[in-house]
Amino acid sequence: MESRVLDGNAIGGLLLELFGTDLTAAPCVCGTCGAREEMARLDVYVDCPGVVVRCRHCTNVMITIVQGRSRTWVDLGGTRALEL
Amino acid sequence: MRTLELDADGWGDHRAGQHLDVRLTAEDGYQAERSYSIASAPGEPLAITVERLEDGEVSPYLVDEVRNGDVFEVRGPIGGYFVWDGDEPEPVLLIAGGAGVVPLAAIARQRARVGSKAPMRLLYSSRSWKDVIYRDQLETFGIELVYTLTREQPPDWKGYARRIDDELLSEVAFPAAESPRVYVCGSTHFVDAAADGLVRLGYDPMWVRTERFGATG
Repeated sequence: MESRVLDGNAIGGLLLELFGTDLTAAPCVCGTCGAREEMARLDVYVDCPGVVVRCRHCTNVMITIVQGRSRTWVDLGGTRALEL
Repeated sequence: MRTLELDADGWGDHRAGQHLDVRLTAEDGYQAERSYSIASAPGEPLAITVERLEDGEVSPYLVDEVRNGDVFEVRGPIGGYFVWDGDEPEPVLLIAGGAGVVPLAAIARQRARVGSKAPMRLLYSSRSWKDVIYRDQLETFGIELVYTLTREQPPDWKGYARRIDDELLSEVAFPAAESPRVYVCGSTHFVDAAADGLVRLGYDPMWVRTERFGATG
C-alpha cells in the first residue's frame, strides 16, 4: 500500500494534546534546508509506526512522534526552530 | 453521509475551517481516533458531517449506529491555519474535493453570519450530482457556486465534467491581481493539483491554504 501523505493539520489534535496549544499555524524551520513553513504546510506520514513529519521542500525528516502505552517520544532533531 | 449535532461539555467556540477528533473506546480498551471537520459556523450548535467509509472503524458507527444521547470522546477545536474569520475584504476562493466541502461550507456559513461582503466562490469537484454534499443548502449561502462532476453528469448538465486542471482553474479563479484568499480541502492528489495550478496562475503560495485528508474511516 502506498504511504499516504497528509499535512500538519492531520496531527493538530495530537500536537494540541502534547503541547497544550495549537501548533498547526506555528512556523517551523527545517534543520536541513532552512525553509520556514507553518506546521500545517509540512508533509505528514501517518501509516508508519508513529508519525513522521517531513519538510515539503527537501523531504528532510523534521519531527517524529512515537506513542507508547503510557508515554510519547517526540524527536525534533530535524527542526532548527519552532515559533510559538 | 450524516450530520451529527454534538453537545460537548466545556467546549469553547470554534473558528470556521477547524476540525475536531473523535475517539471511540471499545470495551476491551481498543481505541480508534479520527478527525472530522466542523460543519457549523462559530456560534451555531457544534456539528460534524461524516461520510461513511466501507471498511471504516469509526464512520460506520457515527453514520449508522450512534443515537441521541450516546456519549463519546471529542478533542478540539483544532487548527489555527486552515481558518477564515470573515474580517478580511479580499475575495475568497474555496476549492472542495468530495467531503472536503465540509469545512468550506462552514466558512461560507461564517460569511453569511458576520455579514461579510468579501466575494466568495466555491469550486466543488464531485464524482456525480448525487454525491454533492449539502446540495440544497449550498444554494442558500449567497456565494457563487461552480461544480465539476468528474464521473457522471445529469443529462442536461451545463457545468464542468472533468478533473480540475489549469484551464479550469484559470476560468474559475479570481484574478491574481485581487490577492484572493484560497482554501483547498480534499484528498492529497486533489489538493496538490489545485494548489500547484493556482501558483502557476500567478497566485502567491502564501494565499493558498490547504488541508489534505486521507480516507481513514
